[in-house]
Amino acid sequence: MRKFITKRILYMVLTLFVITAATFFLMHSIPGDPLSYMARNLPEQTRLNYYAKYGLDKPVTEQFVLFLKNFFTTGSLGESLRYPGREVTDTILTNSSVSVVPGGLALLIGLVIGVTLGIIASLHKNKWPDYVVMFIAVLGITMPVFVLASLFQYFFSVKFQLLPTTGWGKPKNVVLPVACMCFGTIATYARYVKSNMLDVMGQDYILTAEAKGVSGFNVIRKHVLKNAFLPCITLLGGQISGIFTGSFVVEKIFGIPGLGFYFISSINDRDYTMIIGTTVFAAGLFVIAQLIIDIAYGLLDPRIRVR
Amino acid sequence: MKKRALALLMAGTMALSLAACGGGSEQTTSASAGKTVDGKVLDADQTYNTYLMSDPSTLDISKGNDNYGWNILINTMEPLTRMDEQDGQNVRIPAGAESWESNEDGSVWTFHLRDNKWSDGQAVTASDYVYGIQRTLDPASGSLNGYLITCIKNGAAVNSGDMDPSELGVKAVDDKTLEITLENPTPYFLSLTDTRALLPQRQDLIEQYGDSYGADADKYIGNGPFKLDTWTHNSELVLVKNENYYDQENVYLDKVVFKILTDESAIFNSFDNGSLDAVSTGTREWMDRFDQKNGVSRVDYDNSTIRYHFFNTKDALFQNENIRKAFSAAIDREDVNQTIYFGNMTPYTGWVPSTVSLGDTNYREAAGEMMTDTMSEDPKALLLKGMEELGLGSDPSTITVTFTLGGTNQWLKTYGEYFQQIYQQKLGVNIVLDQNEWGTFQQKTNSGDYQMAYMSWGIDYNDPISMLEIMKSDAGSIPTFWENAEFDALIGEASAEMDEAKRLELCKEAETILLSELPVCPVVNEAVHSYNYDYVNNMATTPFTTMGVKKLFISGR
Repeated sequence: MRKFITKRILYMVLTLFVITAATFFLMHSIPGDPLSYMARNLPEQTRLNYYAKYGLDKPVTEQFVLFLKNFFTTGSLGESLRYPGREVTDTILTNSSVSVVPGGLALLIGLVIGVTLGIIASLHKNKWPDYVVMFIAVLGITMPVFVLASLFQYFFSVKFQLLPTTGWGKPKNVVLPVACMCFGTIATYARYVKSNMLDVMGQDYILTAEAKGVSGFNVIRKHVLKNAFLPCITLLGGQISGIFTGSFVVEKIFGIPGLGFYFISSINDRDYTMIIGTTVFAAGLFVIAQLIIDIAYGLLDPRIRVR
Repeated sequence: MKKRALALLMAGTMALSLAACGGGSEQTTSASAGKTVDGKVLDADQTYNTYLMSDPSTLDISKGNDNYGWNILINTMEPLTRMDEQDGQNVRIPAGAESWESNEDGSVWTFHLRDNKWSDGQAVTASDYVYGIQRTLDPASGSLNGYLITCIKNGAAVNSGDMDPSELGVKAVDDKTLEITLENPTPYFLSLTDTRALLPQRQDLIEQYGDSYGADADKYIGNGPFKLDTWTHNSELVLVKNENYYDQENVYLDKVVFKILTDESAIFNSFDNGSLDAVSTGTREWMDRFDQKNGVSRVDYDNSTIRYHFFNTKDALFQNENIRKAFSAAIDREDVNQTIYFGNMTPYTGWVPSTVSLGDTNYREAAGEMMTDTMSEDPKALLLKGMEELGLGSDPSTITVTFTLGGTNQWLKTYGEYFQQIYQQKLGVNIVLDQNEWGTFQQKTNSGDYQMAYMSWGIDYNDPISMLEIMKSDAGSIPTFWENAEFDALIGEASAEMDEAKRLELCKEAETILLSELPVCPVVNEAVHSYNYDYVNNMATTPFTTMGVKKLFISGR
């Protein structure tokens, strides 16, 4: 096990390095620079002073070496170019800790409701509860989140004035974003759990259990649920890393100062340091989640025990 | 690092659970409550809720350059002068400077500072201005505003690193007297006194915080009507009244909340339900809705941005003046305004925006309409004439022009398609649309890899020169590659002419040359449509005012 983990961690570091290098050179190769967001041509001397100040006048390879050196010696990802004076690491930590609140709640609520609905649907296959759940699921998957968010905002904040339109810091600010975000999660898990349940219920060992005289409830509880949930871990891993990176659309509509914004804006603004920072952060979370999933499978599922 | 991340995460969750226990509305009673201003009794709650469409990049005066940051600076800093609005006219009034004078030829300006304090109580001195100006021009700051004040003696040499900032033409004669020597007489110099480039800066704090100065509320200081209380990045900035401000008895608001809202419908919904006190919009459906809303007033005015097309004068086709004229004359600007902008802009054929003033007069009114001759000519005839001059025959359908656009959104697509149709109809030429992401657009146009493109330009300071000088042969601001020695000479003269009547003539002549050769083709002047609840008083109605929210008060919310 230890050897396996060590090997995986080494791979992880390698993956991260490759991602960082690729992103670094790719982002410098796209047209535009951090002054592009100003949407005008500044006088040459002004541009030269700016490039010199932020080291953008050096060759890209040299900039990359400096970036790595800076990262390994100080742990800093550098200063944002779009927001001078702000450390990229600080921005990522502060904003992801905001994103994690609505994201985490939405995942939790979505997971509980989704799984429950999935179980109900599978136990009443092709009866009305199944149709209702599947209707919700299809709606949840097809309805774009910005439509839902705009609708919620219009009805609950403008029409009935129950909740604030935008803002952050008070519990009531979280209600609408969480409601929007959990909708997709509910849909995903309802469908996933249902199909897994049906899959497992068709297995021979369930038939065996029933033949042995185990009661219906116990078959579901002990055999079906356990096996049907296992594949959910894969799904969950990706989503848990996702809650730290935030949702661009929902955060924008409800004015939540999360990290989602920076993933998109940094690219549009050519905020090089922020692009690298957010990419490394997201990639890091992702590979860590993958590692945990693999270990979890090993622990939970004897069939995939690693050597 | 790890510890810090964990702490932040925990803080986040704790804040959430704590907030759940809190609640209840906070009610503050203003010191100015009950006072009467302009015959209106002030409310107990003097809070003004407004928004910015993006987080300010930084409040570091030298480094920042965006309008969002400027909105905060103009309320938390005191410039030398401010542009006030009196009876719908812009008037320059004393602010940080009590009075000022210049020598006869306008090359040396002396500002007598008034007694004002920074929000921490320290006195504002002339050396704060000297430091600020030197820092903005010092190449080591990487400032984006340096170019604005290269008119100061040795400014260009300092900015390029050829001279030490100490050799700059700014001097603190004594604590309260600031003397600025210019390279040449600069008639519009006063228009620069309420821009970032001439604001005072605190050397001690900037040196203490280093590169992070201006990035957070606790790393920033001002000397204006308000002080920055909190700044939650990408969420909101809260300004409170600055008790150390010299004119604080004439500041009525206690609190100004700038919410950072990037989503349009979130902004409009927030105004609709009263969580924002004012909003500006150009979206028809929302305007219709707000027009019908009770207790809401509408303010309309032109701002200082021109939307225009520009031509690559090195292009095989657009090197010809008549062809460029044809492409301008074919545009029915009124129809563009109705079709594309739902009547929300102002159709425009001048280059200097309609609101710009020269001294105390409105430039456009004094200079008159432009391009009247081109507009009355038959576009097709102009095109054929140009084609003949170029030896391209007489069949417009053989011509295909690429129209380059700097954005990939639907609006720009519609915009391009409109012109595709217009040029097809009126000139019989084919138009190919080329939509690009902004960075690509910039690269293509700057390298001359385009024929005709669309862009907008807003001016830096209130003077015709600000708009005209960007067309000088060596400016490189708009890549038309147009060169005209006569135009350059006129701008040179106009930039140094102290006599207003003569300067008007010089500017007018330069603008006429520009618009008869048409490297750029103005289409509309942007207009602002803003709405505010009636309980907000003293809202600005002109684009150049630099009073910020200093004069606002709330009555009858």
